[in-house]
Amino acid sequence: MNIQKLNACMDILKKDLGDGFVASCIITTEDGQVLVATDHANIAEATLLNDATAFIRNALKTYPAELGNYYYVDVAGSMAVLVIPFGDYQWTVTVNKTLVKLGLLLNVVLPAVINAFEDAVVS
Amino acid sequence: MEGAVKKDFKLVADNEHVDAVSRTEAGMKDELQRWPLFGLSVGSFLQVIAMEQQTCIMEVYHDADHWGHFHIIEGALYDAICGALRGEDAAMEMISWENVRLNIKQILATSKVERTIEKNLMLLLMESTRRSDEVHHGRTNGDMEDNEELEELGELDDMDVIADDVERAKLEACLNILGRDMGGALSMASIASVQEGKMMASFNTPHQTAESFLRLTQYLKKAFTAHTSVHLGDHYIMDLKGQLTLVVLIFGEYQWCVVFDNSKCTLGLFRNIIMPKVVKTYNEMNI
Repeated sequence: MNIQKLNACMDILKKDLGDGFVASCIITTEDGQVLVATDHANIAEATLLNDATAFIRNALKTYPAELGNYYYVDVAGSMAVLVIPFGDYQWTVTVNKTLVKLGLLLNVVLPAVINAFEDAVVS
Repeated sequence: MEGAVKKDFKLVADNEHVDAVSRTEAGMKDELQRWPLFGLSVGSFLQVIAMEQQTCIMEVYHDADHWGHFHIIEGALYDAICGALRGEDAAMEMISWENVRLNIKQILATSKVERTIEKNLMLLLMESTRRSDEVHHGRTNGDMEDNEELEELGELDDMDVIADDVERAKLEACLNILGRDMGGALSMASIASVQEGKMMASFNTPHQTAESFLRLTQYLKKAFTAHTSVHLGDHYIMDLKGQLTLVVLIFGEYQWCVVFDNSKCTLGLFRNIIMPKVVKTYNEMNI
């Protein structure tokens, strides 16, 4: 894991989302510990979403289906949370949904950060 | 082929056999020739026309004093006229008739047909069923003051069951619209009551899955409330393997769970075109 590249991932995120970026953090799924977090990152939220991911994986088994690259949770008010599970890690991105178009988030930002993160992990 | 009846209705028409009908009265023969279709209810026939995306005038004959017609363009109900009634009132009146005879005619110029009916056919049929149920159970709008007596008689439980059935039927109608609009893209859909934790309507959904997602929503609601300063909003979206997308929508006391093939229907199309239409239908139903 290249921490410098991991921080660079956050920079890509901030740059691509502009004013729509609120906070972000990357945690380990094993113990819910924070690897990287920006200012204003809600660690409690990131941790509970780590549990939620496990819940979702179990729920999907009943269909059956498997979770893909992301899930997006609408939050009351102006926020929304994008969760990107990467096996041993999970990346949580909080955005201001009034300033970030979902299409931009899912079709432009998401592929870019997935590539950057995978690069950071293998380095 | 605007304005033309695209399909052949011979299968259900009996004009060819009118001459063979044993009744010899000229009036009866004329009547059969004018309204040669029978055996299906008005609602069923309208659904067939809608499903086949027909453009036609459907004439309905109940008796000498009760007859009228519908204008249907590419399967959508545009107008209905019945005596002094027009639009939805006329449509509801004719849908309620039983033992009718029908005839189909061409619309020569669709541009001249005025649209007086905005509700979709499914909604009108559901409303008609509801009214019919109310009449059947002696429960018109003005009769609500009888509730106390009914409660004494222990009949309110039955009313609840009927209301529940009507509600389920309405939700099924919403899913039918969803299925029709999404075509082959829809993999699974369900509507469940969040409070009661039970499935109200479903398409291709294992019971366990609907229950699991109800539990997930409850978990997320509680977790957000307990551990953060924010609350769960009205939807969440999941990317699934195999080009599937799952969308969970929470409307009041109901949770909609929809899985679709995103190679056939994009998330944008679902969110911006299909879902608003279904939500509009849902709201019009006054569930």
